[in-house]
Order: sequence, then structure tokens, then C-alpha cells
Amino acid sequence: MEQFFQQLTNGLAVGGIYALIALGYTMVYGVLKLINFAHGDLFTIGAYLGLTLLTSMALTDHLGPFAGVLVLAVMVMGLVGLVGALLDRLAYRPLRESPRLSAVVSALGASIFLQNTVMLIYGARFQVYPQNILPKSAIYLFGLYIPLVRILILIASIVMMSALYFFIQKTKVGTAIRAAAIDQGAARLMGIDVNRVILMVFLLGPALGGVAGLMVGLYYGQINFTMGWVYGLKAFTAAILGGIGNIPGAMVGGLLLGVIEAMGAAYLSIAWKDAIAFCVLILILILRPTGLLGERVAEKV
Amino acid sequence: MKKLFFVALAMSLMLGSVYAAEPPKIGLMGPMTGSWASEGQEMKQVADLLAEELNAKGGLLGQQVVVVSEDDGGDPRTAALAAQRLATQGVVAVVGTYGSSVCEAAQNIYDEAKIIQIANGSTAIRLSEKGLKYFFRTCPRDDEQAKVGAQTIEKLGFKKVAVLHDNTTYAKGLADEAKALLEGKAGIEIVFFEAITPGERDYSAILTKLKSANPDVVFFTGYYPEAGLLLRQKKEMNWNVPFMGGDATNNPDLVKIAGKDAAAGFYFLSAPLPKDLPSEEAKQFLEAFSKKYGNPPNSIYAVLAGDGFRVITHAIAQTGSTDPDKLADYLHNEIKDFPGLTGKISFNEKGDRDGEVYRVYEVNEEGQFILMP
Repeated sequence: MEQFFQQLTNGLAVGGIYALIALGYTMVYGVLKLINFAHGDLFTIGAYLGLTLLTSMALTDHLGPFAGVLVLAVMVMGLVGLVGALLDRLAYRPLRESPRLSAVVSALGASIFLQNTVMLIYGARFQVYPQNILPKSAIYLFGLYIPLVRILILIASIVMMSALYFFIQKTKVGTAIRAAAIDQGAARLMGIDVNRVILMVFLLGPALGGVAGLMVGLYYGQINFTMGWVYGLKAFTAAILGGIGNIPGAMVGGLLLGVIEAMGAAYLSIAWKDAIAFCVLILILILRPTGLLGERVAEKV
Repeated sequence: MKKLFFVALAMSLMLGSVYAAEPPKIGLMGPMTGSWASEGQEMKQVADLLAEELNAKGGLLGQQVVVVSEDDGGDPRTAALAAQRLATQGVVAVVGTYGSSVCEAAQNIYDEAKIIQIANGSTAIRLSEKGLKYFFRTCPRDDEQAKVGAQTIEKLGFKKVAVLHDNTTYAKGLADEAKALLEGKAGIEIVFFEAITPGERDYSAILTKLKSANPDVVFFTGYYPEAGLLLRQKKEMNWNVPFMGGDATNNPDLVKIAGKDAAAGFYFLSAPLPKDLPSEEAKQFLEAFSKKYGNPPNSIYAVLAGDGFRVITHAIAQTGSTDPDKLADYLHNEIKDFPGLTGKISFNEKGDRDGEVYRVYEVNEEGQFILMP
């Protein structure tokens, strides 16, 4: 039983990160019906920008660990959001009227381009975040051991996801995003500037992906330019699991995928944990083709 | 008259292209991108430096040697394409590559094209068991590594051993070999044998499960990025079990990733590190490398790639030929105790390097790699 709860906390911490990244996939898909394959690389960029800002500005020395990391997170979110908006402007917007496959190919190209840009700028070697930025303390509870940072990561993910959810549900801009997701043509007729909505989506999604990169860097320490691939794939899976295009679905899918992986590793086989996770995905898609909370399904790609 | 001139010109051009032999090209295939990119880029630095030195001394067969490098991305599919590109560029021999599964994808392409391949980091046993005539390697084999690993575990008095690999050709081969050897030893029990997925960041689920098996030592046969993370997360769990790694954990980045306090006490098997190479050739080489690039080489595999380059250029110079059959014959039979950077080099009939190469290292409190006696 102890091991069960330990693995549950392990899974939730990993799942929180998957969920944050999955939001970016799901938002873009919701509005554009485009799977933004470059999203994983925006996550990588977040991790690298975080490292650069952290080491060059010594924020945590001036402001203390928590305020420093908070300021850092806001800066990373802003910068990665800008990269995302730029990506939309250069790689996707010129293809808005083209067949959907062209945009997908453009996304794949953008992914390769961004990954190699990071490699050329930062080098191919593993980069390491300075240690001891965040306190290393852990909580021991009923024989469970939970590092404080893991709890913080989970809380931060949930706070950001909830904030996004309320933003989408309750504000005017959020309503415009939802309207554009339902029908772009009709939204345009209602006076919504769809291109601005898409820009907004490409600011928000990458910002969350970028801050997930920062969290991975701060907690796991080791980053490299290929890290976006695995996380991107998992987050994409999480988005499908929860129902792509659906924001609460991405959150549920992410957390669930993390837990399934941890439980699969714990009780079945470590080597097969990804296979187990994908089997669960297939089962869920057979039973609920739209994902757990989804309304729509990817028609192509 | 004019016509005659043109005929003469055409003939001289034709003859010219026959007699002016092309400059000998040596291919280098390594992971210039991908997660092992630091290995591949250092391999290229070493090959470039050695080619420069050789050309300054007059080159090979009266020509300047050209190094043609191709990126295998640390990925078997990319490697097959890289091998085909090298084969069409008329290289005499190829040095590389690092990963065994990557090497395996390229082997047959070189063999069919009759190109000598000298691998520098691919230690999987089965690579040289296929009877490929043109395949050689300067790195040792995993059966020797497993032997040294099992001996070390026995010597250090560990009874319950956990073996963890990452399902790559190399890591799985080494893990299987070590498991078979350890099971044959009295009093030693394998309590855990599983594979992780490389390229991930969070191994806490695996470590939690591993801990419940309660081993005395964990033998991880995968590569350094994962080893560093495992050590770091193990430390975070306050779990003090000693870890031992195979030769793919031998990279200073391991300590950077794990952090000095988490890496301290980690054992790993490896061919001697560049800094521990005793020979005069090695000292000169290390000096020249530091002078050109500002730091000594990090990885022994880059130096082993250098040995591959030196052996093949030596063979070309000695035989005075770029004929693959002559060269393969020379490498198999003629070359004996060639003074390599990493010690004496001879090849057996399978193309494997003769002699015992592996040592045991321990990481100390400062994060340095200390050769164990």
C-alpha cells in the first residue's frame, strides 16, 4: 500500500508536467485543427531560456528562491509566448487557407528547425541547472517520502491550469477563443478578429509549455535539445486521452497518463510502461472515441 | 591542326584523371546531433586534429588526407542513410560509430560496398560475430566488460545485485552477459532485472520499485544521461545503495547531471580515461588537443576514434594501397602491437581488438574519476 501511494505521488508529479504541455496542443487543435508538432520544442526553449535567465541575472540571489523563481517563470512565459506567436506568424499563418496537411508539414519542419537552432545556440552537450536553487527538503508522511518541489510543481500546474480554464470560460477574450474554436467563419461574422484569437492561443499555449520546461529544468536539472521530443509525445498522448480540443480533458489526460505510467512501471513492467500507457489509450479510444472528456476527434493526421 | 590539338587535350584530360589518384578520403560516422551529440562532435574534433597533423607531415601516399564526416544522429535509421552517403563518396574506410545499435544498422552497407569500418564505441558482442571481413573496432567487447564487472561486484562483496539496462543493443547485451556471469557465482543473487526508457527525465517510479527489491548494488548498463538522473533522484530519495555503471556512463557530464554529492561513490567500468593513458603518443596527442580546442578530450571514445584513424592511415601508408582487401588483410594479420593512443593495438580474426582493456573507476567527492587499483 505504501508503494502504491508513493507511486501515485510519483505519477502525479510527472503527470502535472504532461498536462501543462498538453494544454498547448489542445488549445491550438481546438482553434486551428492543427497539431502543433513544434510545441515540444517550445517546451525545450522554455527550459533553455530559463537556464540563461537564471544564470545571467541571478534572480534567486536577489529575490530569494521562491520570488526569484516566480519572476523567472513570468519572464520565461512571456518570451516563449513571443516565440510561439512568431512561429504562428511565420510558419502557420501563411498556410491558413491551404489544405490542413500543409500546415502539419510546416509544423514538423518548424519542430526540426527549432530543435537544431537550440543545438546550434547552446551546443549539443547536456546543460545543467545550478543545484540548490529550490530547497531540497522533503516531507515524510506515513512512510511516504515526497520532495517539496514535487508538491510545488503539482500545485503550480494545477493553479495555472485553473487560471487558464477560468480565463477561457469567464473572460471576453476566452469567449472569443471558444467561439473561434466552434466555427471560425461564424466567429468572423460576429466581429471576432480570428487572427488575433489565434495569436492569443499561440501566446498562451507556448507560455504554459515554456514554463513546464522551466519546471523540468529546475527539478530534474538536466536539459538537452532533444528533451522536447519525449515530453511532446507524452503530452500529445495526454491531450488525445483526455479528448483533444478540450481544456479540462488535457489536464485530466496529463495527470492520468502520469499515474498510469507510474503504476504500470510499479506493478507490471518498467520496460513496458510506455506500451501499457498506450494500451490504455487505445482501450479508452475504443470505448470513447472522443477521449475521456472530448467532443471532437482528430479526423486526420 | 586544331582538331589534333583538341584530341590531344581530350586524351591528356582522360589520362590525367586516370593517373592523378584522388586524395584518400577517410569517412567519419558519428552522432553529431541527437542525445549523444557531445560524443560525435568530439570524435570529429579528434579526427580533424589527427588529419591536420598527418597532412602537415606530408599526408598519405603523397596526397592530403580528407576527412568526410557524416552525422548518424545516434539513430539507426539516420545511420543507414549516413552510411549510404559515405559509400557513394568513395571513402576508403570509415571510422565510427559510438552506439552499438547505430553501428549495426550501418555494418552491412559498408561490408557490401567493401569499405573498411573501424568502430570506436560500439562494444556489443554480436557486431563482430557476423563474419564481416571489413569490420574492426578499437574499443573492447562487452563480454570482457561483463567479466570485469562481475569480478568487481564479487570483489566488493555485494550479494544481492540489481541489473538495470535501457534495451539498446549495447546495454541489453552487457546486462544479459553480466547476469549470466553473476548467476554462475556462488552466493550472488540477481534480485532485479529490468529496462528503463532512455530519454526521459523522471525515473522515480523505477527507483521506488528498485528500492523495494532491496539490492546491495545496482548495475546500470545504459548511458550517462540516464545514469546521472538515476543517481540524482536516488540521492533525493535518501537511498544510499551503491551504483555501478558500464563504460557508457564514462563521461564527465555524468557528474554535472547528477551533481557532485550524488555522483560520489559511483563505480564504472571503462577503458582507461584520456588522462590515465600512459603512452608517449597519448601525452603528445592530449597536449595538441588541448592546444587546439582549449580543453582535453572528455570522452575515451573520441580518443578511440582517433586510434581508428591512426590505424587505418598507418595501414594505407604501409601497404601503399587503398584496396580494401589488402587493407583488411593487413589489419587482420600484419599489424601487431601498433602504438595506439589507448595502448597497443592488434586485431584478431574477428576484427576485435586483442588484449584486456577495462579498468574500474570510482567517482570521488570532488566529482573526479579515480582509477581503482
